[in-house]
Amino acid sequence: MQLFIAPGDELPIYRQIMRQITDAIAGGRLGPGEKLASQRDLAEQLVVSPLTVKKAYDELEREGLIRTERGRGTFVAERAAVDPERQRQHLRAGARRLLSRARLSGVSLAEVIALLHEVEAELGLAPAGDGLGSTGGFGSGGGDGPPAPLSDHPFDQPHDQEEPES
Amino acid sequence: MNVVELNNVDQMYAGGVLALSDVSVSIEAGQVVGLVGENGAGKTTLMRIAMGMLGPRRGTVRLFGLDPRRDAVGVKRRIGYVSEDQILPPFLRVDRVIDLHRSLFPTWDDALARRLAERFKISPKAKIRTLSKGQARQVALLCAVAHRPELLLLDEPAGGLDPAARREFLETSIRLLNEAGTAILFSSHYLTDVERMADRLVMLHDGRVLIDSDLDTLRESYSLALLPANGTVSRDRLLALGGCLGVRERSEGLRALFALAPGETSELLAETVGIGDAPCHRIGLEEMFIELVGGQA
Repeated sequence: MQLFIAPGDELPIYRQIMRQITDAIAGGRLGPGEKLASQRDLAEQLVVSPLTVKKAYDELEREGLIRTERGRGTFVAERAAVDPERQRQHLRAGARRLLSRARLSGVSLAEVIALLHEVEAELGLAPAGDGLGSTGGFGSGGGDGPPAPLSDHPFDQPHDQEEPES
Repeated sequence: MNVVELNNVDQMYAGGVLALSDVSVSIEAGQVVGLVGENGAGKTTLMRIAMGMLGPRRGTVRLFGLDPRRDAVGVKRRIGYVSEDQILPPFLRVDRVIDLHRSLFPTWDDALARRLAERFKISPKAKIRTLSKGQARQVALLCAVAHRPELLLLDEPAGGLDPAARREFLETSIRLLNEAGTAILFSSHYLTDVERMADRLVMLHDGRVLIDSDLDTLRESYSLALLPANGTVSRDRLLALGGCLGVRERSEGLRALFALAPGETSELLAETVGIGDAPCHRIGLEEMFIELVGGQA
C-alpha cells in the first residue's frame, strides 16, 4: 500500500499516516493479518523521520488496529480490538461537526442518516447489524462485519481520492 | 548520554553584539532536530559552536560528552557537516576530494561512498567547478556522511537547490539515519522540509531559544486566535495571559498565538477577557513562524 503525506497540512504527519492506514483497514484495502511496511522502509518512502513513523505505528497499536511481532514485522490485527470508549469519543466529535453543518444548511436528521447509508455503500462497508443505532454495543457487536471507519474526523474531510495500488 | 549538550551558552559577534544568549539545547541519539529562525537569529553560530569552530563566551558545550575545543579531532571524526556556503576546491576532481576526506576519517566506508556516488550519478573524474550547485552539494554530503558520523550538522543544506535536489538530499539523510542511527541537527528556511524531517523544533530569535518542542505537540497544542480590533482587549492584556506566546497587531484585528489547543484557547479567552466567540485555529509551521517572529514584544 502506498501512502501520501503533505507537510503543512492541518494534521501532523504521524496523524496523516494513522488516518490513511485506518481508512485502508476500514475500507478493506488492508486485510486482517496483512503485513505493513517496516518503520524504516516507510520512513524512507515518505522521507520523514523514522520516529514519526514509529509514533504513528505505536498509536495504531494502542488503538488495537495493528500489532507488531518482534523480529517478524507489523501486521493488521486479525480482529481490530478497538477501545470502544475511545472510538465513541472520536465518533461523537465527528457527529457534532456533521450535525452542526447539517443544521446550518437546513438538512434534517433523517436526511443526514440517509446520507450516512449512502456513504456506507460508497465505502463498500457491509451494514454492521444495527451498530450505529443501538447503544453500548460498540466494537463488540460487529464481529462478523468489517470494522467501522475509525479515522479521527470521520465526517469532516471525506477521503474521496483513492490511494493508488502499489 | 546525549549527542549534543549545550548549556547556557553565550556568544558575541565582533563588535559586542550578542549572537547567542543563554542557549541550552540537547540532542539524543537518533533524533532529528530542525533549527529555524530569521537570518541573524544565531543558527549558524550555534552550529559552529557545536562543531568547535567557535568557543562559547560563557556556558558549556559537550558532544558525545567531550569538549569539541579540547578534543577537536576526536569529536570532528564523529561528526558530518554540510553548509550552504561550503566551498570545495574548484579545480580538484571529485575523486580527489573524496580521497582527501577518506584520509581524514578512520571509519570511512568505501562501499557507502561508492553507493552514494552512483546514486548521485556524479562522474568521479569531473572537476568540482564543472558541477551544478546541486551536484556540488551532493559531493559535500557524500564527504560528510561516508565515515558514518554519529551526528550530522546541516546548516541550510538545501539553500539554493531546486525541489528535486532538495528532496534527494533529504532522502539520503533519512537513509543514513535509518542505517546508522545518526542524529541530525539541520537548519532550514524551508519549513515544509523541517516539518517532514524533524521530530523536534528549536526556534531561535535574537540569539535566544524561543521554542524547543516536539513537533507534533507544537502542531496539536498551539493555536492562533483572531480577535477584534475595536479595543475590547489590548495586546498587553493578551501577552499577560498564561500560554500567550506572541500578539501581532494588524489593521483587521489582533492575532494571538497560544501554546494551547484551539478549544482551550477559546475557553481561556472567554474566561479571562470575556470574548467567547474568537475563532481559534490550528496552524502550520510557516504561519507559526511568522506569528511568533512578528509578535515578539
